[in-house]
Amino acid sequence: MKKFLLPLAVAAVGVYSLLPFLWFVLASWKSPAQLTAIPPVVVPDFHWGFYRSAIVNYGLLGYIKNSAIVAAATTIVSIAIGALAAYALTRFHAAWLRWYLLVLLCVSMFPQIAVAGPVWRILDALGWLNRYPGIIVAYISFSLPLAIWILSTFFKELPYEIEEAALVDGCTRAQALRRIVLPLAAPGIFTAAILVFIYAWNEFFFALIILTSPPLQTLPVGIALFPGEYTIPWGELAAASTIATLPLIALTLLFQRRIVRGLSAGAAKG
Amino acid sequence: MNRADRAAVWFALPSLFLVALFSIYPICDSVRLSFYRMILMLPWLGEKFVGLENYADLVIDPVALVSLGVTLLFVGVSAALEVSIGAGMALLLNESFRGRGFVRAAVLVPWAIPTVVSSQMWRYIFNDRYGLFNFLLFGRDTSRYLAPLAEPWLARAAIIFADMWKTSSFAALIILAGLQTIPDELYEAAEVDGASAWQKLRRITLPLVKPALLLALLFRTIDAFKIFDLVFVMTQGGPADATNVLQFYGYKKVFAEGMIGYGSAISVGVFLISLALALLYIKLIGARVLEPGAAR
Amino acid sequence: MKPWPALLLLPLLFSSVHAADIRFVTWRDTQGFLDRLIAEFEAQNPDLKILRDVGPHSSTEFHDLLAQKFKNRDRAMDVFFMDVIWPAEFASAGWALPLDRFFPRDAQKQFLPAAIRANTYGGAIYGVPLFIDAGLLYYRKDLLQKYHFPAPRTWPELVEQAKTIVAGEKDAGLTGFSGQFKQYEGLVCDMMEYILSNNGALWDEARLSGALRSAAAEEAVRFVRDRIIGEISHRGVLAYQEPESLALFSEGRAVFHRNWPYAWAEANDGSKSKIAGRVGMTPLPAFSGGASAAALGGWQLGISRYSRQPELAWRFVEFMTRAETQKRVALWTGRGMAREAVYRDAEVLEKYPQFRTQLEISTRAVPRPSTPVYVPLSNIMQRYFSAAISARDSDIDRLARHADREMDRVLDLLRPRAAR
Repeated sequence: MKKFLLPLAVAAVGVYSLLPFLWFVLASWKSPAQLTAIPPVVVPDFHWGFYRSAIVNYGLLGYIKNSAIVAAATTIVSIAIGALAAYALTRFHAAWLRWYLLVLLCVSMFPQIAVAGPVWRILDALGWLNRYPGIIVAYISFSLPLAIWILSTFFKELPYEIEEAALVDGCTRAQALRRIVLPLAAPGIFTAAILVFIYAWNEFFFALIILTSPPLQTLPVGIALFPGEYTIPWGELAAASTIATLPLIALTLLFQRRIVRGLSAGAAKG
Repeated sequence: MNRADRAAVWFALPSLFLVALFSIYPICDSVRLSFYRMILMLPWLGEKFVGLENYADLVIDPVALVSLGVTLLFVGVSAALEVSIGAGMALLLNESFRGRGFVRAAVLVPWAIPTVVSSQMWRYIFNDRYGLFNFLLFGRDTSRYLAPLAEPWLARAAIIFADMWKTSSFAALIILAGLQTIPDELYEAAEVDGASAWQKLRRITLPLVKPALLLALLFRTIDAFKIFDLVFVMTQGGPADATNVLQFYGYKKVFAEGMIGYGSAISVGVFLISLALALLYIKLIGARVLEPGAAR
Repeated sequence: MKPWPALLLLPLLFSSVHAADIRFVTWRDTQGFLDRLIAEFEAQNPDLKILRDVGPHSSTEFHDLLAQKFKNRDRAMDVFFMDVIWPAEFASAGWALPLDRFFPRDAQKQFLPAAIRANTYGGAIYGVPLFIDAGLLYYRKDLLQKYHFPAPRTWPELVEQAKTIVAGEKDAGLTGFSGQFKQYEGLVCDMMEYILSNNGALWDEARLSGALRSAAAEEAVRFVRDRIIGEISHRGVLAYQEPESLALFSEGRAVFHRNWPYAWAEANDGSKSKIAGRVGMTPLPAFSGGASAAALGGWQLGISRYSRQPELAWRFVEFMTRAETQKRVALWTGRGMAREAVYRDAEVLEKYPQFRTQLEISTRAVPRPSTPVYVPLSNIMQRYFSAAISARDSDIDRLARHADREMDRVLDLLRPRAAR
């Protein structure tokens, strides 16, 4: 029974996740006449013009480069800072720590549009508008609540005995974090990293108002610039989304192996 | 204990600083503004302190009330569907089978596509003449084609589906990581004891994956309140405000209409409602999550 | 060979040590004319360099970007594009600089009057028009010829023609009309064309109140709900903006189509359109007793009040809007320009004969309410129109009354204190 259900479930999940996107990818190969054909056509003409146009006329690769830099920097720093905070939250007993998590949650609940003005002013005062550090620091701050919550949840589940033993043996807290907690919490860390990366990769609103100079604009802003006043270049949009999603798929394939199964089985028994 | 407390501060300081500067201060500023009447294009009216007047106007504003209803509908249905589907996907991906890596990558594709792209993609798919949606349902028979974005309930369903498509991956990923931390031995021991698959699910998986489930539900709910891009691109809040979620209404007030005070009040309103829901979850499902400290 | 590339060498001769930067907030130019013009300007003005801040072309998103910058008193902004509905708002908010000293009345006379009106607020002018858009009616020339119909002059005539043609063609995929009826700014444009051509109005400017409750306005709205959408369009038009509605027409699926001038080139582009060469263009119909009313659209250039160098900024604005430049942009892009002379230029007319019709229509184009609170008013109207036309049994009178009340509340904010 299971043998039959499993492939079916896999197929269902695959179709659900990929069909809309594949339809769009298909659109990227259609000729201009086919894009809005009524009724829709399934087999494209294998027209590569949209890819050429997206790269040459719309500067797609520049946007991808900027997004990659911003997202990578955001992820690394956010996870680092987040891990420190998560460690504090799960290994110490100070009363205020309890409130910190709640504050982080509350902060993430506030609609972003409301904080746009002050954030812009702060970055302007720092001279960081239209510069990488500006957007990166903003993204780090906004992704911290998510990162810290995920990391805390995972750090908390880890058995404490090994650390205790190490501390007794003279290890410092920082060393304990680095050598014991981080490796054991790898699934949580890579999960948090992927989600932060994708957040930074996809974020649009702040990128729009902070990065207005074309050489610095990230992918979501770049793509929002594709439509003309009354025209939507479906072909180029489809081509751009195909190109833009490939690095993320590659990254995911790479990282998903790190989410290792059967964690801490031996460690728990200690 | 003092030394430990100080150490805790050092560990938490970097995040505290950034969050305080970029989130807490702007939010406080926004809350402050909600007590003022400030209309950008009419500067001669000045910035007048009006106390709770914006909030009073908000609770009787028919558009806001409809918005609230629409938003709660979206949040409730979205979050429930996303976490359920996410959990299903996570359970599947937890099994070992050939090509699992690719299926994991496939599951992440919806989440990885920027919303500026996916919202246009859904607008393209839900079009009433050349869209995939109608093509899948009715093939080439255009006379039976529907107009999902033109009918109130279909438009709501379309937006919920588009949102769900993207974010069930998020839920799946978190729940999957939670599933991965459950040690194999527990399952092996249960099998030795003769437990069925269902019993293993109920007795071992579910309790141990609860923190991850709650995390997914919590964040999905919070994010569902912030739905914006999809509404902006697909329906602009229409038809006839059928998909006018609070966040979109607030955005129109602040940015388009320049009614800063009122728009800020809407943001605070959204925040308070999300907070209420979050606290409800935490109380119902797991108060443990908020407690710091391990030492078990 | 064109001379201007050689001029690019000039900056090498003059050191750019004294170059001043002019920051220009614009949308991405998909047709390539901005790049050319800016290069030319910099060549002719070696002491100036244009730095672009680029935002989305969509009017609402571009407005967000500008609002953000102005709200925070961004000093790094000199020249910016303005949609035709913003000058009053930007003037009132103190964001746009009054340009009278640069752009006096006799200079203004060379531009289409409706555009100048839209840029004027409180007796001063706040923007220099560059592009002009006006709503017009496209139709299938071949189909109308086949049934011996002249282009319709009244809306009821259009409906009858559409019904006859659709019935006669026996093509299940053919529909009568394609327009923009989604709940967005474009809905106000489409609806005002019906209301104003029935001698109705959107607002009473003198009394500062809404005018949607008049019999004429309500009749027009009812006509759209029952006859345009009810009888000759797909329900889908309720979710259409310009791209979707044009796609329907270009696929040969609609007899009539309401859109802006840009659609002419798109509908006649053989690589994208199935009806290239079979398209007619004419002023929008009216109701009997009324006159055709085209909604005015377009973009103008403004100078920021926070700019540190308005004189230099003006040099750029003047360059972009001078007669010679406007003519060249028209030739390059086929877009409707704001200077009347462009439409009468022989070279332009040879390349784009439809400019004759476009001038006729643009001269009579009507701007949307010019008031600092236009956007809140527009949101109220969008809400009303969408509710009125999307439900077959909507109570139009009640909805109109409610919309007027809301509009009155917003317009009340404009009354001087004493009167309140």
